[in-house]
Amino acid sequence: MAQSNSFKIPIGPQHPALKEPESFSVALRGEKILGVDIRLGYNHRGIEKACEERTFLQDVYLIERVCGICSHSHSTCFVQAVEEIANLDVPKRGLYIRTLFAELERVHSHLLWLGVAGHEIGFDTLLMYTWKDREVVMDILAMLSGNRVNYGMNTIGGVRRDISPEQIQEVLKGMDILEEKTKYYIEVASQEATIINRLSGVGVVSKEDAIRLGAVGPTARASGVDRDMRRDDPYAAYPDVQFDVILDDHNDVYGRTVVRLKELMESYKIIRQLLKKIPDGPIAIKAPRKIPAGEAFSRYEAPRGEDVHYVKSNGTEKPERVKVRAPTLANVQVVKHMLKDRYLADMPIVIAAIDPCFSCTDRSIALHRHDSRKRDVVIWETVRLAGIEWYKKNGIDFTALNKRFMARLQK
Amino acid sequence: MTNEETVQQQLTAAFPFLASAVRAVRARRIFADVEYPHFKEVLEYLIREQKFVNLCTMTGLDEGATLGVIYHLATMEGMTVNLHTHVPKENPLLQSVMAYFPSAEAYERELKDLLGFNVQGLPEGNRYPLTDDWPDNEFPLRKDWKPKWASPEEGK
Amino acid sequence: MAALLNMLVFPGFLFLSVFGMYCSFLERKLYARLQSRIGPPWFQPYADFVKLVAKENIMPEDANPVMFSLMPVFALTAVTTAVLYIPIWGTQALFSFTGDIIVVLYLLTLPTVAFFIGGWYSTSLYARIGAVRTLGQLFAYEVPLFMSVLAPAILAESWSLSGISLYYSQHPWYCLFNAIGFVISLVAMLAKLEKAPFDIPEAETEIGGGCFTEYSGRLLAFFKLALMIEMVVGGALLSSVFLPFGLASGPVVGFILFLVKSVIVVGLFAVAHALLARLRIDQILDFCWKLMIPAALVQVVVNLIIKMVIR
Repeated sequence: MAQSNSFKIPIGPQHPALKEPESFSVALRGEKILGVDIRLGYNHRGIEKACEERTFLQDVYLIERVCGICSHSHSTCFVQAVEEIANLDVPKRGLYIRTLFAELERVHSHLLWLGVAGHEIGFDTLLMYTWKDREVVMDILAMLSGNRVNYGMNTIGGVRRDISPEQIQEVLKGMDILEEKTKYYIEVASQEATIINRLSGVGVVSKEDAIRLGAVGPTARASGVDRDMRRDDPYAAYPDVQFDVILDDHNDVYGRTVVRLKELMESYKIIRQLLKKIPDGPIAIKAPRKIPAGEAFSRYEAPRGEDVHYVKSNGTEKPERVKVRAPTLANVQVVKHMLKDRYLADMPIVIAAIDPCFSCTDRSIALHRHDSRKRDVVIWETVRLAGIEWYKKNGIDFTALNKRFMARLQK
Repeated sequence: MTNEETVQQQLTAAFPFLASAVRAVRARRIFADVEYPHFKEVLEYLIREQKFVNLCTMTGLDEGATLGVIYHLATMEGMTVNLHTHVPKENPLLQSVMAYFPSAEAYERELKDLLGFNVQGLPEGNRYPLTDDWPDNEFPLRKDWKPKWASPEEGK
Repeated sequence: MAALLNMLVFPGFLFLSVFGMYCSFLERKLYARLQSRIGPPWFQPYADFVKLVAKENIMPEDANPVMFSLMPVFALTAVTTAVLYIPIWGTQALFSFTGDIIVVLYLLTLPTVAFFIGGWYSTSLYARIGAVRTLGQLFAYEVPLFMSVLAPAILAESWSLSGISLYYSQHPWYCLFNAIGFVISLVAMLAKLEKAPFDIPEAETEIGGGCFTEYSGRLLAFFKLALMIEMVVGGALLSSVFLPFGLASGPVVGFILFLVKSVIVVGLFAVAHALLARLRIDQILDFCWKLMIPAALVQVVVNLIIKMVIR
């Protein structure tokens, strides 16, 4: 709705404030936001359809790649649903390792978010510090799983890799370092005036609105909504560990910062308990290739909030239906409400405060050919072929690596 | 009696025609099937009497002759109910539940785009998740829709 | 001939460019170190300038070509001229006349206006928002800056920079009376240079570059150079008004002291950049009008009282 003296500014799909493409069309008068028009779908990759064409085991790897930072969340959520349908009893040690990775991922994600939040308000020093500490947890993850993101730990029936006592010691050492650093950040966040000024009163959502609009995760808990899947719908090894659900009543971005910081402390607590209590035994149980017919609904507390997967099987080795609802899709619908009557300067931090992961949210690439006026949907194979051709023209030949791909094209 | 069994009993008491259609599968998991004409009253009962105030998501299914929808609802304490209903494929008319759950907008648009549901009651807005120039009558999640060049690699 | 040499070489364009870029390197290095990063090597700003000059200059279709191309040069000229009135190697500047302190202050305002005009005539949305923010910030810091810089002039009873530095080198302890003014003018100078926490006109995470969004190539190089020189000249202005000791000890020592003082001021800017988050424009306006201006008024009153006492 355009009023006089107002104009629309596009934020996205490409914008320095956004780490992933999505489009917010903001109607402004001066610096005040009149309304926001949100357009999602830029990262849609057709994953749910792809899952139906692949076996359950292949889907574990596909689902893991829904997102880089919450990869373990998605694969665990999916695997839990499949294990429920197939009535598989995952061994305790496997569950503990799964939970260990879940919490390590949470630490990684929250530290990353702290840095991003700092960058969005122009406080690059916070970005540099937190991302340096993030290297500690990434080194741990690389040591345990071989990769810094997309760990590939899950399989249907348990986990794929075991952890050794020496690795456990390294993890505990890392936790000590990070706990001290986090205590320092908590101090900074509660005392640094410029941070408090920029984050307070911004992105306000009352408790009633948070429940009504369906907010999840730290975004909701910062408005006092007492929901955490680890406690309400326990899974993996969470029944065996003791931890607090962090609530805050600031209702704004500052509250979300406090919640994430304190959740970091809780994660360290959980990880220590897990490593102390981890039982010996097998790490996985053999799963059948054909999953019996049935359905299951799996919920998981990802770093960004509640992640839900629904899986329906039909007795074959491929699923009938896989549905993924990532937490950001729930939270992004609250953004419109948060930005009403706020300033343009608050937009980046408000959007960043829900910790958006649009790769999780969308899952088609629509390419606009620059040489023709018609826009069409280009399929992946064409793009890949164009890439191979371009490199050949510039002297690098990938055809040897792409034998199977080229054979299919010549069919 | 565990919580989910309580909910199951109360639900079948309120709606006797659901007697065999409600299953308490395990802790915090209830699956129920309802015919679409009765869907609204069952939904309202669940929201108001049983306090299922959260809509986690909506799953659309291609069931051959019908298109199914599962509404995944949850309470604040962690109980879930997966309410399944279905509409004929030739006329997949669905009423929006945005009045109860504002967050349903994204899920319902997804049903429109990917499965071809005709959702009534959605406000004006951008489509999701497909592009604006996506051809009509192409519903990717339907079983008969095949992407071009799809020949998946065989797993080991 | 000598005048031409002065304007182009020393203390004119060449000296200011070289020293300005070196100060920019110092600022970035200190900023990086405070963030436990390594930071750029000493030649980074020089390399950046050369690279930018070599790049293509793209002008938006709707932009006004005259204004668009003129503004960077305009800004550069203004700051380079300002230095001619600032005493660098002694108590006497190259040129001085009564009232030149006001002229210098206005010459330093011109770059900000040039940024605004350049941003506005870029016609891109982001540039216009940045331009408006620059101007808004100008309303915030101009008054405190002027008041705090003119307060020592009241005490020195001279409206010429050379006269002021002469007065204070004769009565060095009187500098202490201007302490409040020094702090205020440091903060206001941060705002003028659009450095954190006042860098909202150029907030990359919000509007992708502010006034400079559409600039590239040579014109962007000039704008950036203007900013760097403004930092040096602003620092020189502050040190000549508030820290004029040692100026009377001869040209060489005086010059070295000038370099040292400038570097210290630059260091303070880097620390502020590292320690503080960016403020919103309404918060900046609040802060300047509600806090800085009263403080500057206090400084002026203090100086008036002291002047009466001295008589």
